[in-house]
Amino acid sequence: MNPIPNALCFGDGLPASGAPCVVAVSVEGLRVSPMGESPVVEHVVAFADMSVEAGGLDHDQLVVSWGEGSSRRTLYLKDPALIAAFRRAAPSQLTAHLERAAEQVRRARRSHRLLWSSAVGVLTGLVLFLWFGSDLIVEWAVARIPIEWEQKLGESVYQDFLSKETILKEGPAVSAVQEMTQRLTEKIPNNPYTFQVSVVQSPVVNAFALPGGYVVVFAGLMNKAESGEEVAGVLSHELNHVLQRHGLERMVKMLGLAAVVGIVLGDQQGVLGLAKQLGMELATLKFGRAQETEADLTGLRLLSDARIAPDGMIRFFERLSEKDDARVELFSTHPMSAARAERLKAELAALPKQTPNPFTFEWKQVQDSLALSGPKQ
Amino acid sequence: MKCEILYPGAFPMVRVYLDANETVKAESGAMVAASPTIDIESKMEGGFLGALSRKMLSGEKFFFQTLRASRGAGEVLLAPTVPGEIVLLELDGVNEYMVQKDGFLAGAEGVKIESKMQGLTRGLLGGEGFFILKIGGTGQLVLNSFGAIHKIDLKPNEEYIVDNSHLVAWTSTTTYNIDKASSGWIASLTSGEGLVCRFRGPGVVYIQSRNPGSFGSWIRQFIPVSE
Repeated sequence: MNPIPNALCFGDGLPASGAPCVVAVSVEGLRVSPMGESPVVEHVVAFADMSVEAGGLDHDQLVVSWGEGSSRRTLYLKDPALIAAFRRAAPSQLTAHLERAAEQVRRARRSHRLLWSSAVGVLTGLVLFLWFGSDLIVEWAVARIPIEWEQKLGESVYQDFLSKETILKEGPAVSAVQEMTQRLTEKIPNNPYTFQVSVVQSPVVNAFALPGGYVVVFAGLMNKAESGEEVAGVLSHELNHVLQRHGLERMVKMLGLAAVVGIVLGDQQGVLGLAKQLGMELATLKFGRAQETEADLTGLRLLSDARIAPDGMIRFFERLSEKDDARVELFSTHPMSAARAERLKAELAALPKQTPNPFTFEWKQVQDSLALSGPKQ
Repeated sequence: MKCEILYPGAFPMVRVYLDANETVKAESGAMVAASPTIDIESKMEGGFLGALSRKMLSGEKFFFQTLRASRGAGEVLLAPTVPGEIVLLELDGVNEYMVQKDGFLAGAEGVKIESKMQGLTRGLLGGEGFFILKIGGTGQLVLNSFGAIHKIDLKPNEEYIVDNSHLVAWTSTTTYNIDKASSGWIASLTSGEGLVCRFRGPGVVYIQSRNPGSFGSWIRQFIPVSE
C-alpha cells in the first residue's frame, strides 16, 4: 500500500501546487520521501540547516525551508500530529522561534475574535439604531428637500398614472370632491402645496396621495362611502400624507435602508438574503403604519377645523374593519382598521366640539351620477 | 471514477465513468444525463447541521446530488449552470483548495467539502462573502468557472494581484490580503477595480476570464422594467 502523503514540497522544478511527499521526524531532522515519480529526492534535512515559520491561509501550517538559490526547498506541513512531533524533537533554538510564531498566531486569532465580536456588536447596534432612530434622520433629510423637487417628482408619476385611467372631468362627483378639497385646504395654515384632486372611474375602493399634492380618489371609494363626510375623511387623511411629506420620507428611508443594508451585508443569497429582504420589508411596514396613524390623527384635526363632521372618517374605518379580522398588524402597511377607529374616537373626544357645517351637495345624487357615468359595477 | 471533459470551451460537459457501486458528488441540478444503472440520491454533505450552515451562510446549495452506480458500472454527464470552462484537479490528501461558492461542480467520493468562515476584512471586502468552500480529501475534483479558466502558478513568496470577482479557487498554502488597486483611495475607486486580492505563493490560483457580477449588471440594462 502506498504511504499517505502528509506534506507539500515547493521549489524550482517542482509543480506550483506542490509535490506531495511523506515527512517523518527523526532525531537529526526531517526525513523527506517523495511520492510516485516526484523529482523530490529522499533525504534528511538536519535541524541546523532549516528555518521554520507559520504559514498558509490561516497561519496554521508549519513552513520549513532550507537550501539556497535554485535548490531552495519549502515544505508545508499541515498535520497537527506531525507538527507536534516536530516541536518535541527540534532543538530549542528552532522551537523558540516556533513558539514565537505560534504565539503570533494565537494573538492574531484573539484579535480576530475580538474584531468579529465588535463587528457583531456594531452590527446589532446599527440594526437597533435603524429600527428605532432612523425616523429622525429621515425627517431631517426630508426637511432639506425643496418643495419644487417634490412637485416635479409627484407630477410625473401623477401624469403617468392618469394617462392609463379614465378621469371624470365634470359632474356632481367631481364638484363634490372639489368642494371637500376646498373646505379642507382653506384650513391648512401656511400651505405650500397647490392640491390637485382627480376622480378616476374605477371600482377600486381606494384613494392615494403623491408627493407634491397630487391626490387621486377612485370612484369605487365614493360608491362604497355612505356619506360625503366619509369621503372627506379619507381625503383629509390623504392630504395629510402630502403635508407630512410621507411619500418622500418613505423614499428616503427605503434608499437609505437599501444602501446601509447593501454595505453591511453585501449581495447575499440563501437565508441571509431572505432575512435581509424580510428585515427591510418589516422596517418599512412599521414605518408605513406610523405614517398612517399620523395621517389619521392630523386628518381628523383638519376635518374638525374645517367643520366637517369627523365621525364620517371613523365610521368608514369601522366598516373596513369588518373585513380584516384575520390580518396580523406586524405584517401590514396599514394599522388595523378597528384599532384605527378606536384611536380616532379617543382623539375626537379630546378635540373641542365644533358644530359641523353640512356639504352643499346631496350624497345620493353624487353616487347616482357615478353609476350613470361609469360602467356598471 | 474517471472524468473526461467534453466540448471544451464555453459550453463544456463532464463525462464521469463510475465503476459498480462508486459514487460522485455533484452540485444539485448539475446532472444532464446518466446510464440507467445510476441512482440519484440527495445527500446532505456534512450532516444536517453542516448542510444547514452551508446553505445559510454561504448560499451554497443545501443538498449535493450523490450519483451512485448501484446497478453496475455506468456514466454520468454533468454540466454547470453558467457558460464557462471546466477544470479537473487531483486531490491527494494533502493539497486543499479554497473554492468560491459557485465554483464547485463535482467531486469523487473521497472529496471532503466544508464551508469555512473567512476573516472579517477578507469576507467584507473580498467579494466572495464571508464563507467559502474548503475542499480537501482524495480523488478528482471538478470546478467550473464563468468564462475561461486561467491558472496562475506562484513560487514561494511570489505575489500576484487578482480582481476579487474573478477568483475561482486557490490552494490553502497560498495566502492573500485585500488591497486597494492603486496607491490612492480615489484612484482605486475610479479605476473601476476598487479592491483587489494580493496573493502570495507558494501555490496555485485559478481565475475566471469573466466577472459574473459585471456581466449581470450589463445584462440588466436590457431587461425591460415591468410594474
